[in-house]
Amino acid sequence: MPTPLILSPEQTAFLQGPLSMNVGAVGRDGWPCVCRAQGVIVARDRRSLTVLLSASRGRAVLEALDAGSAITLVVSRPATHATLQLKATRAMRVGVSPAHRAASARCVAAFAGELETLGYATELKTTLASVLPTDDLVALRFVPEIVFDQTPGPDAGRVLART
Amino acid sequence: MNIALESLRPCLDGAVPAVVATASPDGTPNVAYASQVHYVDPEHVALSFQFFSKTRENVLAHPYAQVQVIEPKSFRHFRLKLHYLRTETSGPLFEYMKAQLAGIAARTGMSRVFALRGADVYRVLDIENVDPRLLPAPAPPDALLKLRGALDHLGACDDLAHLADRALAALERGFGIRHALLAMLDESGSALYTLASLGYPASGVGAEVALGEGLIGVAAREAIPVRINHHTGDYTYHAALHVADPASPRIPLPVLANPHSQIAVPLMHGARLVGVLYAESEQNAFFSHADEDALVVYGRHLGALVVQLAALPDDAEPIRATSSPRPSGAPLAVRYFAHDHSVFIDNDYLIKGVAGSILWTLLNEHAASGRRDFCNRELRRDPRLPLPDFGDNLETRLILLQRRLAERCPQIALAKTGRGRFRLELARPLRLNAA
Repeated sequence: MPTPLILSPEQTAFLQGPLSMNVGAVGRDGWPCVCRAQGVIVARDRRSLTVLLSASRGRAVLEALDAGSAITLVVSRPATHATLQLKATRAMRVGVSPAHRAASARCVAAFAGELETLGYATELKTTLASVLPTDDLVALRFVPEIVFDQTPGPDAGRVLART
Repeated sequence: MNIALESLRPCLDGAVPAVVATASPDGTPNVAYASQVHYVDPEHVALSFQFFSKTRENVLAHPYAQVQVIEPKSFRHFRLKLHYLRTETSGPLFEYMKAQLAGIAARTGMSRVFALRGADVYRVLDIENVDPRLLPAPAPPDALLKLRGALDHLGACDDLAHLADRALAALERGFGIRHALLAMLDESGSALYTLASLGYPASGVGAEVALGEGLIGVAAREAIPVRINHHTGDYTYHAALHVADPASPRIPLPVLANPHSQIAVPLMHGARLVGVLYAESEQNAFFSHADEDALVVYGRHLGALVVQLAALPDDAEPIRATSSPRPSGAPLAVRYFAHDHSVFIDNDYLIKGVAGSILWTLLNEHAASGRRDFCNRELRRDPRLPLPDFGDNLETRLILLQRRLAERCPQIALAKTGRGRFRLELARPLRLNAA
């Protein structure tokens, strides 16, 4: 049994910050696909994550994951460009709870708030809330097997942790 | 494709970062931020290749990718299915992306880590609108209308000096551009010189830019438009970095110290480069893709007009001379340095190169024979001007000389006395001295 990967407290804190998030997968036809995620929750034991997507916006990604694709989650903090990529060989759908919806709304608002401080228009909060509504959320749970530092630069791709 | 790639050009300006998804041969997905997704033509985009990344490793092994781009303002997302074709490491596309990347890098505070190694060209196979229920962003002002406004204002020009000034003033009327300059390619084809400018405290007439240096030089060398939509800290992309010969006396370019948007478009006549039109703004994202299109058309129009006006024959006779005052007062010391044809008046640098050589020839001719009336035709044939074929540059050189004199030494003037004819007017006596 490989040693399970436990996210560091810093990585956990980072994952709870204002982030731009995207989930990638590979379809059965071999095509990579990507969808903006709208919320991430780190489990108490820091071994698994739940990432939230819109079912309609993420159809291709969800189909690929349902068909057994590996998953990748890339999260980036707009103000610093600090970026992590977390990968796992599988992800599992879990039921969506009111807490998930609240977490998604919170994550989207935090992302919009961060963008506003960077000079994007103040109406962005409303715009993003309409682009990323919480009415058709899907929750995906996965256990990261490898974490990369993906901050743009020559060190991007450095492995930070693995099972 | 249901959606035309052209309609996504506002998403391809780097205002909101794009992401690219790729797959490794074993089927592992990878998602990375793409600094730049560049519109190449209706079927192709290019992604900047800056590092030997997982994305690159993946597309080289499995040449399929999906890119997600975002429309600024509306935040609508679009996904493009891409097939990797090739990487370009030189040439116009590479140079354009390199310049634009400098702007994007500076906006994101990442100048140090953003250097372009290549332009990865992809064919776009499909475009998906992820948010079909959202309204598109409001359309930007119509660039065709701006162009028409500029051309209406430009009107008919019957000489090059008039054209140069009107061409810049028309930009203000048509496009709301407040800072611009017109630089002409010199006879050697290795540098450009400023002929006219708009909106700067000093005109900068005569300032030179080496081919390939700065935004103006890159636009000239590649004969392409180059647009940077954000303030760039990368010194390479200041309007001009070097003069043709750094050891020579120079006139500074009059440009803004910290432009937030810049564009340089070539003035073309057919396939021939005549000069470069450069414009800039203190606002971010001032020039849209459509503005670039319109300014490229404007640049072609101006290029053709410059060549057409320069080809008109000289007038047969000068306009009758009105009496000019005799030179009086202390003589001006005029020094000439043959190695670069530079002219100094009372130890102040005036001009060099072709224009310096012309002035020196005129002043000597006047000193020897008392002649004051000259025409372009004789200058073209004058063996004392040991210079390559002037072509249509003679007229622009004379305008440059005339303007430089008016700014720096109004005691010596070249007054136009007809097409291709002018008169030397001296308010002070001269003491000529060749070094």
